[in-house]
Amino acid sequence: MTPLLPGIVPFGLIAGFTPVSFGFTWFDAWAGSLLMFAGASQLAAYQLMNESASLWVILLTVAAINLRYLLYSASIAPHLANADRLTRLLAGYGLTDQIYAICHRDYPTHDWDLQERIAYYAGGSFLIWGLWQACTVLGAFVGQIIPVFWSLEFMIPLTFLALALNTLKSRSHQTAAVTGAIVSFAGLTLPYNLGLILGGVAGIIAGVMHQRMRS
Amino acid sequence: MTEQFIWTVALAGLVTLFLKSAFIEGQHYFQLPQWFIDALEFVPPAILCALVIPGIFKGDVGLVREFGNVPIDPKPIAALIAAMTFLATKKTIPTLLAGMASLYLVFWVQI
Repeated sequence: MTPLLPGIVPFGLIAGFTPVSFGFTWFDAWAGSLLMFAGASQLAAYQLMNESASLWVILLTVAAINLRYLLYSASIAPHLANADRLTRLLAGYGLTDQIYAICHRDYPTHDWDLQERIAYYAGGSFLIWGLWQACTVLGAFVGQIIPVFWSLEFMIPLTFLALALNTLKSRSHQTAAVTGAIVSFAGLTLPYNLGLILGGVAGIIAGVMHQRMRS
Repeated sequence: MTEQFIWTVALAGLVTLFLKSAFIEGQHYFQLPQWFIDALEFVPPAILCALVIPGIFKGDVGLVREFGNVPIDPKPIAALIAAMTFLATKKTIPTLLAGMASLYLVFWVQI
């Protein structure tokens, strides 16, 4: 668990100070962490709000970035099956890449009853949640005293760039990435940031088709 | 905090909560089809790359808003150097630092 925590800090700080560098207040910046609690999609949402994208484009983008949680959710669900409704709802809210990784690893190899599994999940996610909230708020306050010309908002596309390059596991993934970038570029002047959605959809289709042709 | 902002973030939060708790809540009611799971693989590279583009080619960074425009937009060059840094190091923090440093440098040499 602990080895996963340091990675949260810089990302949480970025999620705090980038909205502020767009002109949002520290509380506005924190609102995303409280209500969404999903780093990459928070960055996307604030970037798109700053570009005055339409609500539907923002929600679609957030959904696309967070689609992976469907898989996590499906994988964790059997282990929390008999928990009560409130516990399951909180577990859903608290679901992160990190808590998924440790529960996915440790649930099958331990003979825990439901209470122990819940305690393990709750302990981990509370730690991550607290650290994430603290880092976002700290980042937001720091962001308020950093001058505009530092251009901290540019860290959003840089973060996406690093995350994107980290997903290029195969030729099919590369095809998806390049197609997404080209279509998004071609659609830069489209209204409501539609080019972004078209790029995402085209990239997914290209990746799937490339993989099908190879197999 | 405007009304539109509150709605946007609240709805984005609802969408996120739905995706996170869909199965923990409703595991008995539906199952993901295989084609969907296959396609899910390509969502991150596609959407993240699509997101990088407007961040690099649209709008002005704080430097430009503060000190005025320069002939060549420093953002694409900085992003290229950041990308090369990531491919060389596979680490995020050096990538961010290289990208920001390049942004400042490419801006500064033009003023």
